Amino acid sequence: MVNDAGQLYTMEGVAAGVIMLLAAYIVVSTTSIYTTGDTHIPDMQLEQLGSDVLAMMDTPDTNGTTSALETFVSTNNGTGFNSTFLSYCNATTRGTLDNLHMSANITYRDANANKINEYPFVAPDNTWTGRESAVRATRWVQLPKLSPKPVGMPGDMRTDPQAVLVEVLLWRA
Amino acid sequence: MNEEGQWIVLMGLLVAVALFFLALIINQSALVGQTTAEGVLEFPKNDIRDLREAVFDYVDAAGALDPIERVDIEKDIITISLERKNAVVQFGNGTPQDVSGRWLRPVDIHYNNGVTVYNETVYY
Repeated sequence: MVNDAGQLYTMEGVAAGVIMLLAAYIVVSTTSIYTTGDTHIPDMQLEQLGSDVLAMMDTPDTNGTTSALETFVSTNNGTGFNSTFLSYCNATTRGTLDNLHMSANITYRDANANKINEYPFVAPDNTWTGRESAVRATRWVQLPKLSPKPVGMPGDMRTDPQAVLVEVLLWRA
Repeated sequence: MNEEGQWIVLMGLLVAVALFFLALIINQSALVGQTTAEGVLEFPKNDIRDLREAVFDYVDAAGALDPIERVDIEKDIITISLERKNAVVQFGNGTPQDVSGRWLRPVDIHYNNGVTVYNETVYY
């Protein structure tokens, strides 16, 4: 015959099993989501840092003069741009330098063919592997008439006043 | 059947359920951080501020340029925005108007990247 003694123990056993399964599931899912959620915040901060540095470089020292950024682009001085940019974004309040690296491209419009082209402004250094979680910061620069066109600029880029887009890839190595 | 100790079992269950709710809250709080950061990354704040500055630079320089050069710079900004930032951009400036005793020109700025739309008329 069916003996109904010990039903409470059975229920307790089932409840304990469910509790252990749920606990294991929640522990695993909590930690795994936490790490992925966290990675966006440094990206966001890095992108903001890059935009702020570009805005700083695009601000002239006095009213009416050209900004450092515009001068670097219109003279095609990639090394000067690289060192100024990195000295701004690697500065910390402790005095020690941060470990950020960058590369930059310039996008322009070829007016004759009405095509968008780009050329490398700062080549990536040897820390670049292609696997970095790099962020992009951009800044419009309006160039004056270039006469003559600096060495290294592409041939189909025009010398008339024009707007170009400076795109910086920024990563931590 | 011995029914003693049922209260202890019940309290044990209640504590376990309460712990699950706390774990769920921690779980969701991580998601909140992720969606906030994603929302900030997706919102083109810097693109819009940069575009405004580019348009103001264009308006500043427009007086010294001939009409062909002006159209060229406008095309530069519109086509490069579309190509590199996936944003449809349109802007223009009108004739100066008297705004509280100062002669300012109305500048229209329109920006649309499919997620965020920004329209502005600023007297500059």
